Amino acid sequence: MSNATIGVKDVSKVYSLKHKAKEEDKFLIKSIFERNDKNSVEEFWALKDINFEVNKGDKVGIIGRNGAGKSTLLKILSRIVAPTTGRIEYEGRVASLLEVGTGFHPELTGRENVFLNGSILGMTKKEITSKFDEIVAFAEVENFLDTPVKRYSSGMYVRLAFAVAAHLEPEILIVDEVLAVGDSAFQKKCLGKMNEISSKEGKTILFVSHNMAAIQNLCNKSFVIKNGKIDFPINDTNAAIRHYIKDSIKLSRLGISERMDRSGEGMIKFENIVLVDNSGSEVKGIHTGQEINFIIETKYDIHAITNVSVAMTVYTDEGAEILTLANHISLESFAEIKSNQKIVCNVKKFPLTKGDYVLNVSVYKDSILQDYITEAFSFTVFEGDFYGNGKILPGNTPSVLIENNWFLK
Amino acid sequence: MKTVILSGSKAKLDFKEVLNYRGLLKNIAYRDVTVRYKQTWIGMIWAIIKPLMNILIFSIISRLIDKTSNTSQNFLNVGAGVIIWNLMASCVSDSSGSLLANANLLTKVYFPKIILPFSSIFVCLIDFAIAFAIYLIFFFIFNGFPGFHILFLPIFVFLAVFLCLSLGLLFATLNVKYRDVNFALPFFLQFAFYASPVFLSTQFYLNHLPHYLQKAFLLNPAVFILDGFRYSLFGKWEVYDVQAIICSVVIMVILFFIGLRYFLKFEKSFADYI
Repeated sequence: MSNATIGVKDVSKVYSLKHKAKEEDKFLIKSIFERNDKNSVEEFWALKDINFEVNKGDKVGIIGRNGAGKSTLLKILSRIVAPTTGRIEYEGRVASLLEVGTGFHPELTGRENVFLNGSILGMTKKEITSKFDEIVAFAEVENFLDTPVKRYSSGMYVRLAFAVAAHLEPEILIVDEVLAVGDSAFQKKCLGKMNEISSKEGKTILFVSHNMAAIQNLCNKSFVIKNGKIDFPINDTNAAIRHYIKDSIKLSRLGISERMDRSGEGMIKFENIVLVDNSGSEVKGIHTGQEINFIIETKYDIHAITNVSVAMTVYTDEGAEILTLANHISLESFAEIKSNQKIVCNVKKFPLTKGDYVLNVSVYKDSILQDYITEAFSFTVFEGDFYGNGKILPGNTPSVLIENNWFLK
Repeated sequence: MKTVILSGSKAKLDFKEVLNYRGLLKNIAYRDVTVRYKQTWIGMIWAIIKPLMNILIFSIISRLIDKTSNTSQNFLNVGAGVIIWNLMASCVSDSSGSLLANANLLTKVYFPKIILPFSSIFVCLIDFAIAFAIYLIFFFIFNGFPGFHILFLPIFVFLAVFLCLSLGLLFATLNVKYRDVNFALPFFLQFAFYASPVFLSTQFYLNHLPHYLQKAFLLNPAVFILDGFRYSLFGKWEVYDVQAIICSVVIMVILFFIGLRYFLKFEKSFADYI
């Protein structure tokens, strides 16, 4: 290990998956008394030969799809699970934040939970006491300190939980996707706080997120994990994100219904997305300024589903979030969708310039996340005449065009 | 501070580390104690009612079976047995369940896992202290002040916890992989209850057991603890058998090392299996 704070060498983790023997020739009674000896065991390498080094003060983003092994890696680094092979060394105190509010007890008051959660995350009583007021102010729960947290709104709960974690002061901080909770204003506040923590001298951060913008914002280096292996070794964040998105575009050619890496409650799920122009025929690409319809097919088990909001976030192939289309923001949520109805998002004049773009899609029922797929769909935008005057924006950087007027006064 | 994580590194108890996490131990114990009687109407009084009912029931049963003792003495004898037994039984079952009860912590943060069975003991000790305080009042009324033997009492309470924690470490580890423990434990405790002089005297057992079972009965460490606990209250050791006592102590020490070793050996894979 040279000059690094964290050195990870040949780390692998294997889980054994048990497969049930064929059921067909088994009677119930027999299966009760027979121990499952016929079950086959398959080895599953959640991580295979992971090597990387992190220097002191680096903020490292770990990028990868759901199930790629990111969380397993973080768990091994946090000493929650042991690696099957390999060796890890690090220098300094580590705090890991794999979940917001670990160990919060609903019956305890806010005050009691701050102390409990703080000590679970590895803070001493002295540290918690000295930061207590700061934590409470950050979470904005001053008036509810002596109320059991089971009476808190979910927003208050998450705010308090994050506030404790945000005031940890370890040398190495390991953070897993915790920003996916809370409203967007609070998410901003959390990111701000993370930036503030990371800008302090000598702090090392390992950060997992699906939010490329957050990674770009926070991390100076990143690597990509795919199927348990390092797909793109630790390097400049922008390069890693480019690699990841390129790979995603390949993946997004797969049908959405085949995608397994989803999150959400699953009451309603995405089935397919197609682009249709105003003549009604399916297209593969869009011209800037063209009228276009995103036709979204969904699947759900019940006859009709109420209060549905759908959001699509458009990213450039560099990972920059450039556009969000959401029915509950531009209009309002669908009161009811009946089976075999398709959701259509119509854009009169498509504003993005030439380039490749990727979509994340999410659907909510009653503000509860039902389905969320990253890089669900990709499309290409060709040069087009947005302003209807035959002129085209020069250059290759993706950008958004809007109607504007110029005059002298 | 340098940390090295190795695959397949040896299990050992890192005292310094456990000491560093004493704040967590305290906070988890505090949580368990405060949460225990939350949203009950009479709260802590349950800690009195439960043993009191047990004592009443078993005093009556004991009178019906063993007609040699007088009523108030019998009540105190059974009381002492029930109170220390309740401590032991709750220690075993709480520490056995402590890993499962805190599964969300095990899979999300690192800490020495041994904290969990240890912290679960505190709730049991508080319940014991409350019940014992009430018991002492009755003791003063019927029996006057106890002699100097009372000074030995903490030793036997310690031994009771020591024995039960050893079993708890073993069962808790098994429980992570095999939930069968949840089903088997109540039977084990019930059997142990009848195999120990909780509401009947040791002498009664010895008088009624066949010869070959008498030795086995005396090897039960709980017999030694119950008799010792009664000795520190009443100043009289019922059946004083040095050999049996030495064996009991040796068994307890062996059990402790087995429990501890087993726990530490599998500590690293708890999060994988739970």
